[in-house]
Amino acid sequence: MKILMKSVDMICVSNKDGKISPIKYKFVGKDEQIHIVKINKILERNEERLAGNRMYIYKVMSIINNSQRVYEMKYELATCKWYIYKM
Amino acid sequence: MKKYIFHIDANSAYLSWQAVYNLQHGNNIDLRNITAAIGGDASKRKGIILAKSLKAKKAGVKTGQPLFEALKVCPELTIVSPNYQLYVTCSDEMMAIIQTFSEKVERFSVDECFMELSCEDPIAIAYQLKNNIHKTLGFTVNVGISTNKLLAKMGSELEKPDKVHTMFKEEIIKKMWPLPVNELFMVGRATYKKLSKYGIVTIGQLANTDIVFLSQIMKSHGRLIWHYANGLDFSPVKKDSRKIKGIGNSTTTPFDVDDIRYASLFILSLTEMVAIRLRANKMMCHVVHVSYHRASQGGGQGRQRKLISPTDQTNIIYQTAMELFKEIWDEGPIRHFGVRVTMLYTADIYQRSIFDKKNLEKKRKLNQHIDLLRVKYGSQTIKRASFIASGINNINGGIHEDYPMMSSLL
Repeated sequence: MKILMKSVDMICVSNKDGKISPIKYKFVGKDEQIHIVKINKILERNEERLAGNRMYIYKVMSIINNSQRVYEMKYELATCKWYIYKM
Repeated sequence: MKKYIFHIDANSAYLSWQAVYNLQHGNNIDLRNITAAIGGDASKRKGIILAKSLKAKKAGVKTGQPLFEALKVCPELTIVSPNYQLYVTCSDEMMAIIQTFSEKVERFSVDECFMELSCEDPIAIAYQLKNNIHKTLGFTVNVGISTNKLLAKMGSELEKPDKVHTMFKEEIIKKMWPLPVNELFMVGRATYKKLSKYGIVTIGQLANTDIVFLSQIMKSHGRLIWHYANGLDFSPVKKDSRKIKGIGNSTTTPFDVDDIRYASLFILSLTEMVAIRLRANKMMCHVVHVSYHRASQGGGQGRQRKLISPTDQTNIIYQTAMELFKEIWDEGPIRHFGVRVTMLYTADIYQRSIFDKKNLEKKRKLNQHIDLLRVKYGSQTIKRASFIASGINNINGGIHEDYPMMSSLL
């Protein structure tokens, strides 16, 4: 997997226990077209506190270009930003 | 169980914190592995080096060096502007981890602290602490272990990075005495020069010098460093030392200043910021310190003066700073100015003096209102007429004063 760290517009859900889960996101691809990707499954959840900056890391599965891909997304708590981290 | 003192020191703090933050945000260059430094603004040729990577250190870059000088020594140097908010967060998180090991922790500066702990195996604890910080926060620390604060600090300064060192009394002769005397805490440039004049170049030589002789040439400071060289220090680990000791502000000027008008404007713009911070902290100062660095031949001077009564007034601090500056300035070109206030008291209750100027309370209220306006509408809302068309900002500098950057008292 390659580190991309590309920010995206995300729709996510926060349940009554405060657990945040990504649902689907929108991003502008290399072809300058808007792509909408659905998160089919969350495989792993982790938290990191590097440099004291809290981020949630999700290992997720989606269908991208008609093939199933496993990759990682990050959510930065301080800025409320979502990123495609590694793909 | 025996009581031990640990000194925990983040390795090239600002730089490694920035490096970890950048890596976390997908940057594939680790600032720690290239010639990189944190400091100022490279495009404006402003500021000084605050921290550097080990590679930059090898290339001759020094902390405190002006940017343009560092770039002369190492043209390929990558310079990153400081992000104080990040450093405060890193410092707080590091403290939070250390506090899970012991309740008695003293924050000595933004990147180092002392911890007191009674345990059986201090080395195992130190490794656990060091590895825990590395794993959780992503940066490395050095840990020094001993039975007093001075020796613990001297221990953590030995080999870097990511190391644990012990410096017990019986190890002083082997580990500390062969070091050059300027490696000793509280031996600065001036003391080093004085000591080398008498042929004292290592800590061991200092430790074996007659204390009476040192006392004659350097008064109480001579006695202090003799005690330190012999590993003697009895200061306790103070639990809460977040009290601000002084508020200072300095700036590197974009051009050589050789005119009293410009010098006074720079000093005034620095004083404005110092006084705003002083009032924001609801404090008053009793001592004003002013300093400058020469443009070409290097070096500089500083002088301080105690006021008759404490103040938080911009005008009084500025007038005192200008009196001091006129006393020390040799009229040569200047590249760096600094204004600092110390001996801080709370502003709620303070001692009035019969020499106080009239309308003091009125003037305090005026300053408070100007501060409010500046906070609400920006620093340019109200400015002194002397700044008009001068090309100099009416308020200069902006370093956070949340934590003392370096303390000289153990």
